[in-house]
Amino acid sequence: MNLDVIVNLLVNGLATGMLIFLLASGLSLIFGLMDVLNFSHGGLFAWGAYMGVWVYVSTGSFLLAVVGAVLGGVAIGFILERWIIRPIYGNHLQQILVTLGVMLVLSELLKVFWGPNPLNAAVPPYLDGSWQLGGIILIKYRLFIIIVGILLLVGIQLLLTRTKLGLVVRAGVLNKEMVQALGYNIKRIFSIVFMLGAGMAALGGVLLAPYSGVIFSEMGMQFAILAFIVVVIGGMGSVQGSAVASVLVGLSGAFMAYYVPDLSLAVNMLLMVLVLLIKPSGLYGLKR
Amino acid sequence: MRMISRYTIGLLPIVIIMLLAAYPFMNDSRSTLILLSKIFIFAVFAMSYDLLLGYTGIVSFGHAMFFGIGAYAIGIVMYKIGDSMGMLLLALLIGVVLAAIVSYIVGILTLRLQSHFYAMLTLAFAGLFTVLAEKWRSITKGNDGFPFPIPDFFRDRTTFYYFALVFMILFFLLLRRFTKSPLGRVLQAIRENEQRTASLGYQVVHYKVIVSVVAGVVAALCGGMYGMTLRFVNTSVFSMNTTLDALLMTIIGGIGTLYGGVIGAALIELAHELLTSLAKVHPIFERWIIFFGLLYILVVMVFPLGIAGTFKLWLKRKKTSIPLGKRDDVPW
Repeated sequence: MNLDVIVNLLVNGLATGMLIFLLASGLSLIFGLMDVLNFSHGGLFAWGAYMGVWVYVSTGSFLLAVVGAVLGGVAIGFILERWIIRPIYGNHLQQILVTLGVMLVLSELLKVFWGPNPLNAAVPPYLDGSWQLGGIILIKYRLFIIIVGILLLVGIQLLLTRTKLGLVVRAGVLNKEMVQALGYNIKRIFSIVFMLGAGMAALGGVLLAPYSGVIFSEMGMQFAILAFIVVVIGGMGSVQGSAVASVLVGLSGAFMAYYVPDLSLAVNMLLMVLVLLIKPSGLYGLKR
Repeated sequence: MRMISRYTIGLLPIVIIMLLAAYPFMNDSRSTLILLSKIFIFAVFAMSYDLLLGYTGIVSFGHAMFFGIGAYAIGIVMYKIGDSMGMLLLALLIGVVLAAIVSYIVGILTLRLQSHFYAMLTLAFAGLFTVLAEKWRSITKGNDGFPFPIPDFFRDRTTFYYFALVFMILFFLLLRRFTKSPLGRVLQAIRENEQRTASLGYQVVHYKVIVSVVAGVVAALCGGMYGMTLRFVNTSVFSMNTTLDALLMTIIGGIGTLYGGVIGAALIELAHELLTSLAKVHPIFERWIIFFGLLYILVVMVFPLGIAGTFKLWLKRKKTSIPLGKRDDVPW
């Protein structure tokens, strides 16, 4: 076992962890604030990837692709929240069932627009290639994902702790009724948080596309399963928990994929089962 | 008039069963017999899902795993050990026992938590089984799957057709008995008001675990039957689409009625057959499931009773003028 392999696995694990974080933090925040477990979140992720690749292929600009995917994700999020989620607030079973239906429709729509076959996604030239650092090869694009992930993590933390909106959101997670009683329009806050989560999911998707090189409509569900494992481990409603658990799941996935490839999902599931047995509210979860 | 209409509705299932029993004498086209056999099997699968969703108010997104366990149990035993009648029974038994163990473990872990956890965890467990079936190539042959022989007795499509028909009728009666038993009443009480049921002294978690094991076992039997229909098994039995089939059939057909599952299964399988043949007209029909996805969302949001329930309510309304918007027998 040499250093080169370990560093590369670390980078891989962190990069995957960051992508999962983009998905899981939105999921967790939406659940914490609105009590809605959004089973269509993976669909937004896949839509982000497809829209990003489409924009990239037609314009040739990766920046435009990212912006387009995020805006598209936010727009889909707005529509979902306004016409699908809002009419059924407070009804758990109905939400679970409807959002899964939305997931089905979203991934079928992908096939209607872009065909049922997987699409190839290219890395933009200025992020392609690798650096060599004393015999260790570092792939540029993976480092790029990690940097973007860290920036977003810091950004969300700042948003939550330093702004008025963040204050209201955190208060809403603790006690919705009180926030409402103090005169804040909780519905608007819900809407904003949902759109934010949708945008981050789409960003995760568009960043994943060049990383994995190929995108397909089922990838939404695959990543959603990882994101669910992450929110259970990290604790519903906690961005910090999602971050820690995402890195954990990403790293264990990368190392297991190298040493015992067949068991990587099993290890993450085991981790989740362990957390459920010992602390069902998750590592950073609030008591409910 | 009212008496007549009540009797007609009571007679309807008997007439349908008689027509189905007579069907092979009128038309023994292989593909139609297979299609109808599949409808019977999926009807039972949807009914087992209805026990969870419609009668207890539990949402599972991993029902495919029990179906897949049953299908693979049959396939592997028939292929590796032998295709005698005794081996078939052994294979069904293996599938049932495995499904019972898995559903028990998953249930114990999550059914005491909020409903979200069961949905998420069953989804993740089903994902795990898909990976297992893909990776354990020495036994499952990976993604491609494998064909296998079945006992001579069931090789005749007409025999198997009757077997599947009897399977459906038997399980409809058994599951109806189950839901009308004292145990079934407690399940419905949990659906209506969990806290109240708990405060009346019932161990809610125990009852939930029991129903999830029963539903898992029935689903495993359906998986076994499905394997026998196709004489082939691959990883698609574990896929999300199998769970979605159960979900769409149960909800569109009408939850909390059992026979809603039969209506849903017939509707979806027939539509699948019809719409994919229309794919030449317009490629959108290749994606026929999208229509059912939209219909499903509409049903969950606006007509939570589904076809069977709305029809039942419509009949009741004629007698007692209950407003059509009233939602009894629905967990949400």
